[in-house]
Amino acid sequence: MFELWNSGPVALMLNGLVALSHYLFGSFGLTIIVLTIIIRACMYPLTAKQLRSSQAMQALQPKIAELQKKYAKDKKKLAEEQMKLYKQSGVSPAGCAVPMLIQMPIWIALYQSIIRVLSVVPEGLLGLSRYLWSWSIVYSMLPLDNNFLWFNLVGPDIPLAIIVGVTMWLSQKMVTPATTDPQQRSQSQLMLWMMPLLFGFLAMSFPSGLALYWVMSNVITMVFQYFVLGGWGGLVKSSARRPGVADKDYLKRIARVEESAPDISAVEADIVETSSTEEEGLGYGVSGDKRQVGGGGYPSSLRAIRRQSRRSKRHRPKRR
Amino acid sequence: MGIKHKIRLLVKVLLLSVILLIVGVTVSGCYGRSQSRGWSGAIITDDTLFVASTEGKLIALNKSDGGRLWEVSLGTSAVAVYGSPAVEGDLVYVGGYNGKVYAISSSLGAKRQVYPVDDNLEPIVSGLVAAGGKVYFGCSDGKVYALNAAELYKEWEFPTGDKIWSTPVIDGETIYIGSFDKKLYALNAIDGSKKWEFDEAGGAVASTPLVYDNTVYVGSFDRYLYAVDATNGSLRWRSAVEAGKWYWAKPVAYNNVIYAPNLDGKVYILDANSGGEVAGAVDLESPISSGPVVVDGKVIIASEEGKIYSLDASNNQVSLLANMGNGEKVYAPLCASNGVIYIHTQNSKQDNLYVLNAQTGVTLWSLSLTSE
Repeated sequence: MFELWNSGPVALMLNGLVALSHYLFGSFGLTIIVLTIIIRACMYPLTAKQLRSSQAMQALQPKIAELQKKYAKDKKKLAEEQMKLYKQSGVSPAGCAVPMLIQMPIWIALYQSIIRVLSVVPEGLLGLSRYLWSWSIVYSMLPLDNNFLWFNLVGPDIPLAIIVGVTMWLSQKMVTPATTDPQQRSQSQLMLWMMPLLFGFLAMSFPSGLALYWVMSNVITMVFQYFVLGGWGGLVKSSARRPGVADKDYLKRIARVEESAPDISAVEADIVETSSTEEEGLGYGVSGDKRQVGGGGYPSSLRAIRRQSRRSKRHRPKRR
Repeated sequence: MGIKHKIRLLVKVLLLSVILLIVGVTVSGCYGRSQSRGWSGAIITDDTLFVASTEGKLIALNKSDGGRLWEVSLGTSAVAVYGSPAVEGDLVYVGGYNGKVYAISSSLGAKRQVYPVDDNLEPIVSGLVAAGGKVYFGCSDGKVYALNAAELYKEWEFPTGDKIWSTPVIDGETIYIGSFDKKLYALNAIDGSKKWEFDEAGGAVASTPLVYDNTVYVGSFDRYLYAVDATNGSLRWRSAVEAGKWYWAKPVAYNNVIYAPNLDGKVYILDANSGGEVAGAVDLESPISSGPVVVDGKVIIASEEGKIYSLDASNNQVSLLANMGNGEKVYAPLCASNGVIYIHTQNSKQDNLYVLNAQTGVTLWSLSLTSE
């Protein structure tokens, strides 16, 4: 199993990295950056799906909360209703975790490849030859230069670890919903700080090559989020947020759920009419008033969809 | 937010942190990251054998029965030694991966000198060569150093473009040494001035060159063996066959034939004049990083998996001489004296010295170099 892993994914990553470095002036740092872009580009459909799923999940939170309230004593029924809601909204709770899970073996393979390719001890370089494929460029490129910018790619680097934390915080902040629900806000805040701190800490004990991958990955995530979610999200507090293409798709589906499921619609209708606080809980706005004035951001888009949804109760469109 | 929820959230976060940390520690601890243990070869003078253990000790043994004459720790913690020690007069020299060169009394085992005294050089992987009152070695800082053998101060240094792991070879007043900058250098042994450099290799040169019949033979990471004119550094030939992996070990020559071991597990048998194959490569099915020796017309080769082979130079037939077994690995160059082969092996726990009869493969004696 271990040998299979080494001769498969690790060898593929390792040889790919070395061959790529041949075309990137022998710079291993540049190679990691380009590889990150390639990997993330390949994973774009999954990442986009993850972003949409998590966004839609957030949009469904108030409904789920209501369901939890409604079926507090009947867990089985609650689970059924939740699944029904997810299904009807086209939201997969697993969709948020899959890209993360897929990236884990990539991280591990990348880590092992970096360690092996940039091995400084003779035992490491000697062992590396076992994993090399019979490509001339691979053999003649090695050993590679360990230095990139100001840091050594083999050892940990504190400034780079800080950059890992900062970029992760920024990318998390972009998708963190602003909410007045104290429970949800507390949870979001905890995750917003825990993950960057954890990855920053890991970057301080891992090779800088892997930290460089994380930094690039975070930057790319931010770019994806900008385009998929249609703005800087939580990074710009008062900015108008135009819904991205993905938002529209999911939100339309959610609106359709509202139309088609009378009991949930009833719950939703209650939420809409209850108070502005609950409205904000639905719509990620930091300041509900500001957003209403600005007319941008999630709340307005959701409101628009809901208004449309209520109107369409009379003129229900053909279901696909 | 209820206290119950807070606790549940905290438990979730802690669980996630623990999972990530376990993954991190497992990945960093178990995979890929190699430790420097060293693989010092042995050197024999008169009746004494000197070898550095993986515990960072230089050990002097009686070469006939393995009786321990003395041992000395090179540093306060274990210092990996990759190159073979060198002997000049009453001193034995050894270079450590900690970037220090030690001069130790060969009769008493007492440390006499150390270079540099206060700080450290970059790791020394190269073996040391002592001749003409100087000690020569290459360093991972990319420089070739010549130290005064008696006082251990620097006489000269020569910079190359990359790390040096190759052991220098001295022939007359010329030193030949390879560098990771893909070049082979010929330097004046007296003052360190460059005589010539050979830059036609397509890969790093980590192996030790062989000087034979006014030609320097050296293997490269581009998987070719090169024959270079020792006088002017011009290319005589590049091996006709491309090996499967890197050339790591020093080749040997016998009767105008070059025996070049490779990490692909094969020994390439090449004509010293043309570079053509005299016979098909002998496949030992395990990487060869240990330098072979020639004993009585037989090339003795150790494969990494601990098997010792005898290749008869008269007919290029290979036979298994001994199998160290028990997970013993051989990385250190072999050493031979009076028909006896000295093999420094290592397994996951300790390193051992095996002494074999070169003709029969019978183990004459063996001992553990690791403290009990």
